[in-house]
Amino acid sequence: MKIIACYSNKGGVGKTATAVNLSYALADAGYRTLLCDLDPQGASSFYFRVKPSKKLTETKFFDDVERFTKSIRGSDYDNLDILPANMTFRDFDVFLSRMKNSRSRLKKALKSVKSDYDVILLDCPPNISTLSENVFSAADGIVVPVIPTTLSQRTFQQLEEFFRENGLPPKKLHAFFSMTQGVKSLHGQTMDEMRKEHKKRFLETQIAFASDVERMGVHRAPVVATAPRSAVAVAYRQLHDEVMERLNKA
Amino acid sequence: MTILPVPTYLVPTSALDAFSGAPSGKLIAQLIRSEDDSAFDLLDTFDEDLRQRGMCLLQVGAELILWTADGAMLGQSDVGAPARFVANLPSGPVKDALGCVPALRSLVPLGQGRLSSAQLALVDDEEKTQARAKFHVLAAEVGQGVAIAQLQSLRGYDKAFEQLQNDLALAGAVPLTDAHPLKALFPDHQPYVAKPDLDLAEDATAFETANAIIGAYLPVARRNEQGVIDDIDVEYLHDYRIALRKIRSVISLFKGVYSDKQTEKLKQRFSDLMAPTGRLRDLDVYLLEREFFFDLLPESLHGGLERMFEMFAAERGQALQKLSKHLKSKGYEAEITKLIHLFDTPKKLHAGPEADAPAHDFASALIWKRYRKICKIAAGIDDQTEDEEVHELRIQCKKLRYLMEFFAPAFPKDDFKSLIKPLKKLQDNLGLFNDYSVQQESLKDFLEGLGAGDHAGNMQLAQSVGALIAVLHQRQLAERQKVVESFAAFNSPETQATFRDLFHGGEG
Repeated sequence: MKIIACYSNKGGVGKTATAVNLSYALADAGYRTLLCDLDPQGASSFYFRVKPSKKLTETKFFDDVERFTKSIRGSDYDNLDILPANMTFRDFDVFLSRMKNSRSRLKKALKSVKSDYDVILLDCPPNISTLSENVFSAADGIVVPVIPTTLSQRTFQQLEEFFRENGLPPKKLHAFFSMTQGVKSLHGQTMDEMRKEHKKRFLETQIAFASDVERMGVHRAPVVATAPRSAVAVAYRQLHDEVMERLNKA
Repeated sequence: MTILPVPTYLVPTSALDAFSGAPSGKLIAQLIRSEDDSAFDLLDTFDEDLRQRGMCLLQVGAELILWTADGAMLGQSDVGAPARFVANLPSGPVKDALGCVPALRSLVPLGQGRLSSAQLALVDDEEKTQARAKFHVLAAEVGQGVAIAQLQSLRGYDKAFEQLQNDLALAGAVPLTDAHPLKALFPDHQPYVAKPDLDLAEDATAFETANAIIGAYLPVARRNEQGVIDDIDVEYLHDYRIALRKIRSVISLFKGVYSDKQTEKLKQRFSDLMAPTGRLRDLDVYLLEREFFFDLLPESLHGGLERMFEMFAAERGQALQKLSKHLKSKGYEAEITKLIHLFDTPKKLHAGPEADAPAHDFASALIWKRYRKICKIAAGIDDQTEDEEVHELRIQCKKLRYLMEFFAPAFPKDDFKSLIKPLKKLQDNLGLFNDYSVQQESLKDFLEGLGAGDHAGNMQLAQSVGALIAVLHQRQLAERQKVVESFAAFNSPETQATFRDLFHGGEG
């Protein structure tokens, strides 16, 4: 089982759109996928029309295997389940380590209800907190959307520094350029610089700024599902292929 | 979404449209019907092996769709021609799941119609799907259609799933394992039953029993005629002959039930029906043994076998033509119709002295007598006994088996089963002994029947067939060795006691 975190220490970079479309692409490729909506501001549950559950705010939540499995909701798509937002995640690291341990009660419980997952995708909140730290160490890969602007350049540097300071392998970081705009020459320049500066950190895939993605709020469905032939859908699939190729190599 | 295993349901198509837009608890039902619509054949073996196993198979163009008894739906889309024998299908999930179909049986279309699809979703106020059903909508040319519903539960929406199940139940859905589309789509379809159940009163007489058995097996023979003519598979002729053979054994075994004159007349009439079928069946059996014969001989002798089987195949073509012509003839039609009529209204049948005996007592006496006879023959068999005695034992065992099967309804089920099982084992042994013996005889006949023409070809044939006879002789001897032991296994003290209790008032 792989754990992939979708993370950005800066808001408004298309992180939730990435989580939503990447999880759909994973499920569509046949991976049994669980998307965990951990971002209280995020809206990945919203995009899948899944209502947050009020019962899920207990701190000891992740100790309680049964309640955890009960709070998972099936999406409208094959192979894709959602763990809705609106929780406190004090014990989230415990949850993650249990997901990784094949002998844990949680893992067995998931197996018993036939929802043992191949990939768990985490839509993370946009700050560096204890939660993020735990996520970073548990995840097999962290997918980081970066808008090619000077400000984003700085935030990404901060993230890499954080990794080094905390003894986390920067290899886990898989950044890609998000919401790129071909007409902006600054974008092109910044991308060239960043690729040079952070060798191997950046994926080939770029997700261009697209109105299709903006309309996701209207359709309330992944753009890969509603407009599978659109350029941006093709790009998200490519992102999926590239991320999985890297993770399977690691 | 995680798909959990749930039963597949059969729903009347008329109920589907009622779902569209209907409220369902706090949810709304949304029905989407597909525009596509294609022709399907409902496939099964003639004796509906799949239906009896709770399976349903459709062919739609080059695609096979199979619903298994445990609710799974399998598809295989590379099936070019109409599917016939499972062994000849390209490998795939449907072929694998059809492994249960008897190798000799061909799949046949039992009904035709049009197939479309529909999807039902129960959605909440956010238009989130909470439960879903996929329908394969089957429409016969006349009458109402049915839909096979595959329910999908979505994790975390258990209530909606229950709601969906309730909605479907109210609409008349039943589990697919309890109701087959065949019955719903083609209400006039009469399933073929090779061994019809006899509905006999407990105090039925021997005469009534005999008439009922013959009256039940005549239509079984008739049902197989078209399959023989169309040469669908060899089991049609086999079943046709078994039905006639059972009728003939009733006539010969139920001594005194019909008058002597009547018995003779019936024997002759049924013998005349059976006679034209013999050669084709023999050839079918030879051809079925093809692989077995090739395995018995070294490759150097395969040439002669190849030649022999070519000759069999050619002769089979002629024999089939001849029998088909017979079955389609006016004379045959008139005779079998007359016989059916005779046993439907048995007033014209001349009863014999035993006619009014209660079936149970009559059967007990017959079975006991037969059993004693078998014991007597078996007692005389050792390694040195003539083959004729072993053949006689086989024939008597067969008669005993028929008698017991005919009268089974008159006796306790479990006791009967405990006797039939070891008897079957003994018969398997005796049957193989007989097969090897018959094969040798017919191979000898085949050699003798060869013309003087092609000398070199005949030499090749003679070499192969001669070697085959030698191998079969060894096999026959080996089976022969087992007979004493098999009989002892059959005639255990328990078997002896059960025979005494059931058929001889517990006395030895």
